[in-house]
Amino acid sequence: MAIRKDANTLTTSERQELTSAILELKRRGIYDQFVLRHANANMRAIHRSPAFLPWHRRYLWDFERELQRVSGNPDLGLPYWNWPEGGSGASMWDDDLLGGDGHPVSQVVSSGPFRSGQWTVINSSGQPAGPLTRAFGRESWATELPALQEILDVLSITPYDAAPWNESVTQSFRNQLEGFRGPNLHNRGHGWVGGSMLPMTSPNDPVFFMNHCMVDKIWHEWQIRFPRQGYLPASGGPFGQNLNDPMDSTPATPIDRRPIDVLLSSNLNIEYDAVFPGTGQDQNQTVELSTNGTLVDGNISSTGEIDLYHFDVTDFNTYVAETSGASDTVMTLFGPDDHTLQIALNDDGGENFNSRISQSLPAGRYFISIRLFDNSATGSYQIRVNTESSDNPVIPQLEVNGPATDAEITNPREIDLFRFSAQSSGVYSIETSGSTDTFMTVFGPDSETLQIATDDDSGFLRNARLQLQLQPGEYFVRIRHYSNTGTGAYQIQVSQSN
Amino acid sequence: MSSTTETYQNCEIRINNNNELFINGKRIDYEFDFDSNKWLSKYLPYHDYDSLLELARAIVRDTVEFTHVDP
Repeated sequence: MAIRKDANTLTTSERQELTSAILELKRRGIYDQFVLRHANANMRAIHRSPAFLPWHRRYLWDFERELQRVSGNPDLGLPYWNWPEGGSGASMWDDDLLGGDGHPVSQVVSSGPFRSGQWTVINSSGQPAGPLTRAFGRESWATELPALQEILDVLSITPYDAAPWNESVTQSFRNQLEGFRGPNLHNRGHGWVGGSMLPMTSPNDPVFFMNHCMVDKIWHEWQIRFPRQGYLPASGGPFGQNLNDPMDSTPATPIDRRPIDVLLSSNLNIEYDAVFPGTGQDQNQTVELSTNGTLVDGNISSTGEIDLYHFDVTDFNTYVAETSGASDTVMTLFGPDDHTLQIALNDDGGENFNSRISQSLPAGRYFISIRLFDNSATGSYQIRVNTESSDNPVIPQLEVNGPATDAEITNPREIDLFRFSAQSSGVYSIETSGSTDTFMTVFGPDSETLQIATDDDSGFLRNARLQLQLQPGEYFVRIRHYSNTGTGAYQIQVSQSN
Repeated sequence: MSSTTETYQNCEIRINNNNELFINGKRIDYEFDFDSNKWLSKYLPYHDYDSLLELARAIVRDTVEFTHVDP
């Protein structure tokens, strides 16, 4: 699973891997094929129209797969250009990643992996057309990069798009993100870089892909915020723009080429490293719920509003979170200790269109978001969290040096909890086996919340394995799938070294 | 027929009757947006321009279809 990160946070080795892969694609002529795919597409089929977002999501996905292929790293993720933190002094412009601004007069980029002499741009006929050029902030319409508040403002806009499905519509998330109305986000990224980023051949500058990765991240978060706001137009729009129309200049393999084929990021194994405030959960703005406490009044007072709560689990148990009242609520549960890690979502599991989630939860802090099913509605409700029974469920015990225990992550985002007793001081090995990509966290001694260590892939294949020096006591092991969408069987075993 | 011609960054821009645009003799398609009173071209998808001449200069200056920068 590739995680798309803020380009400024890439490590030295990640920068080396990414730039080497881009240069290799260029050497093989594949990079220029991507430039031509964009440059020779019908401009209005992929810009200034609803398919702008799905077309570029698919384009990035194809490019990312090529990067993974030439690098040999299936986990290589495209980084995104975090505009509010991506000005000319940002580390993404250092010479080990993108190189910096162009010459004050010629605009030629003379440092970094894509410098003059090392990197040649092409025109829309595929002919070499000189060095890469940049002119940071020198276009009169793009002297500053988008600010965080401008991004948040656009993230609040619904619907996805509206007739006449072009650059003139104001009440359109797509058009405001693209930049022809509102604060101008995507277009400003192109304009701020200037030079080679201005024309249809703009993928000549590798920052193109980071700019669009940011655009895709914003769309992804908008989809999380408004899960009931679908792609528009479903039908009746210009050909190539409807939900099930084939998109221009897009291959029909390995997936089909319609907007509907790329709507779910999770289906494309796309994950981002962080979310903006207000997407999913913002733990700084959450209301605390007491387990087995009184009902808490909630109110969706404006359309599209999301209410945020948290509660703390001290002991492994089955917990029930539910709303009551006349509003048709939708509940999402996140955690533990991570307000972006979704565990479950429910619409009508409670009475009278209320939502209800029952889930076995290990210790930690959990987060709940409540919205109304109808994004145009407002209304009040009540919410509470209770333990399902007073008897704590049994946590499966792993026998040290005993046989492996069979287990399975049956639902996406499920967390399995185990315990084992360390009878004496020593080195203990805790590992999973099987074909499931597991992620392990160990807690203790004698605590479900005192984290000792985590591991992803130290075991065989993509299994987790930890070798720890432990004191006598009770230890707890959480196993989840590395991917938020993954499921699968595995075995887990604990052994003590002699 | 009125015609204006200028040389901009070694390219010849010619505008006939304020509605036909040629750069280095090649006819350039463009659009005029009556709502915004701005000109746009398939070559430059991210911005609209206040006049046809401004659009033509931007095409010459910012695309690599007619000129390129020597290293």
